Amino acid sequence: MELLDKLTILADAAKYDVACTSSGVNRAAVNGKLGSTTSAGICHTFSADGRCITLLKVLMSNACSYDCTYCVNRRSNDVPRATFTPRELAELTIGFYRRNYIEGLFLSSGVLRNPDYTTEQMCEAIRLLRDDYGFNGYIHAKAIPGTSEQLLTRLGVLVDRMSLNIELPSETSLRLLAPDKSGQSVLAPMRFVRDGIKENIQDKTTSIVKRARFAPAGQSTQMIVGASPESDFQILNLSASLYRTLELKRVFFSAYLPVNTDPLLPLVTKAPLLREHRLYQADWLMRFYHFDVNEIIDESNPFLDPLIDPKCNWALNHIDLFPAEINRVPYEMLLRIPGIGVKGAGRIVKARRERSLRFEDLKRLNVSTKRARYFITCNGSFAEGVLFDPASIYDNLADEARSRHCKGVLDGQLSLFEESAPVGLMSASAADSSAQRRELVPWIN
Amino acid sequence: MDKLSSNPLLTDARLTCLYDGSFEGLLSAVFWAFEHKEDPCDIAVETNLQYSLDQLFLPIDTDVEKAERVKAGIIRSLGYQAYKDVRCVFLSDDERKGRVILRFLQYSLKRGAGSRSDLAEPKIADFDDVLRKVNREIHYQLQFIRFSRLQNGVFFAKIHPKANVVPLIMGHFVARLNVQPFMIFDENHALTGVYDCKRWWLVAADTVSVPDATAEQDDYQALWQTFYDTIAIEERSNPTCRRNFMPKRFWGDLCEMVPQELRKSRPQTATPTACARLVGGQSRKSLRSPLN
Ligand code: SF4
Repeated sequence: MELLDKLTILADAAKYDVACTSSGVNRAAVNGKLGSTTSAGICHTFSADGRCITLLKVLMSNACSYDCTYCVNRRSNDVPRATFTPRELAELTIGFYRRNYIEGLFLSSGVLRNPDYTTEQMCEAIRLLRDDYGFNGYIHAKAIPGTSEQLLTRLGVLVDRMSLNIELPSETSLRLLAPDKSGQSVLAPMRFVRDGIKENIQDKTTSIVKRARFAPAGQSTQMIVGASPESDFQILNLSASLYRTLELKRVFFSAYLPVNTDPLLPLVTKAPLLREHRLYQADWLMRFYHFDVNEIIDESNPFLDPLIDPKCNWALNHIDLFPAEINRVPYEMLLRIPGIGVKGAGRIVKARRERSLRFEDLKRLNVSTKRARYFITCNGSFAEGVLFDPASIYDNLADEARSRHCKGVLDGQLSLFEESAPVGLMSASAADSSAQRRELVPWIN
Repeated sequence: MDKLSSNPLLTDARLTCLYDGSFEGLLSAVFWAFEHKEDPCDIAVETNLQYSLDQLFLPIDTDVEKAERVKAGIIRSLGYQAYKDVRCVFLSDDERKGRVILRFLQYSLKRGAGSRSDLAEPKIADFDDVLRKVNREIHYQLQFIRFSRLQNGVFFAKIHPKANVVPLIMGHFVARLNVQPFMIFDENHALTGVYDCKRWWLVAADTVSVPDATAEQDDYQALWQTFYDTIAIEERSNPTCRRNFMPKRFWGDLCEMVPQELRKSRPQTATPTACARLVGGQSRKSLRSPLN
């Protein structure tokens, strides 16, 4: 088979994997070697769906011997199959990297024969890259559930980031939709990777022998949203505990896209993109804005509001803490103002030391007041025309969201929300979320 | 010399200092303004003038020694980062840059290092605004530069940035590509950065003629285009989002954005050996590497 055909098959099979970041590790260039990494990562292009492409994202093989219901590559599907040789893959990566097409490689795979054999093939491709081609750029490998610890270690010291897909937000759903996997087959290697990364840190503090570092950019995971009945409340609680107990760097969400038809899968016609977007916003609040999951969502309202973002939602639920006086409130409170980001809050703190800030000054600081204006005062007064009343603020923010959707910024996403109350499997969902929450927490601890 | 603005004939005149377009020239003009306690309304490049009757133009000679004194003064009172920022703003295409730098220096040299955090002060805010745009342009280039492999083994990229960023991005690519010779030709600013695996330098020239790309280059380009087309999820198509992240002005230099029907043969203007000569170091006019 031609390399071009292989690439087509194996990129197509990998495209549903969402994690495509090259961030988390700053490794300076080494003389005589090709490549460097920057901790913020660099997006090299954007595909037609608006997603950043930073890594060559492919599968080693899509000839999978498992049969996960939601996956295109399941063995019962009649699709063309292909497998890269380690050398083909290494050469392709180098060829792209030299031309500044990519930051590195994101390698995943279907289960070729068995997990260990698959991992050996992946290790060999990456070893070629590192040793034979002197490649010093970014590599993210997706570990295959069920791989032996010995092989995981071998893989871990070759790559920058490792991830395992937790796939679905509860073990019940996982068992139902991915019959060859179990919670343990995913969680055991995730724990193993966590411990490997921890050893790095200990090594560093005691500065013992320099050894190859295990996944220095940390671990991440991904789960499919909308293929199973869990609520946003459950999903966010699960990701909060993944951050806490497994010390993950990122939890990615992937809006469920119906690629197969199966009686076990919900009948949806469009991916729940807006829901995915809101989950990411909530995730962002937890990672960068010091929000606790309980502040974002609670059991009595287990789904995020599609019309306003979770930060606005929080602010409206805590309207007694507002308005926030820009010249006085502490940094932590600035971070809680809708529409003000980490950078903006930092600039405000800096600038207000020098002089007291007015609304027009915020523009100079490059701080947008589009949403913030409803929640702030400058020297005691509101922005012109702002009516400080929760109901009217909600309407204004929701109107703004609606008009944005009409303009196609979140094409088709809102209509989905309006047309579909959760279907099929999903309808059982919200009803018994507390029981499921109890089930879910021990699962990952 | 008497203070110009005290000359009664000039009370209504708006004084613009002219410089030769070099960084040293701009700093010489700043030096002149400080030395004579003048407050010119602008510092502009001699060649892009828009004459108007109520303006007075004063050409300032470039004086490397005076420029050095300004540089030393900036570093001493505002720190090295501030000097780098001034240098960065100078490389912007923004026509305001001369007066933005002058106002910034007038304000911050008087107030000292603390003024750098006075972000609401218009003189600082304007400076930071131009600076932010140059930094964004630098980042765009790190993202969107595409190299082609030429028959002489050099990797070649042509770009059209909105600021004169080649001097500011060479370091990144030199460190990263390291074992690979390359050239980045900025057609808008007629400036080429050249790296030969030992050192890098800049060449000022309107055009660069290079050998053809290799056959292997066509293969990789086709592979990359295929990957790009394949990786998008049709059901999630979102052209607005793509355009926001990757503005259309870059598409002309991005091989994956070449529409399907126009793909394959992309001829490069070719005169073999010219490139080899450049890489060999016999360039027409070598400039200093600017940041040290
Ligand atoms: S293991 Fe399951 S999810 Fe992974 S490729 Fe195979 S069928 Fe798809």
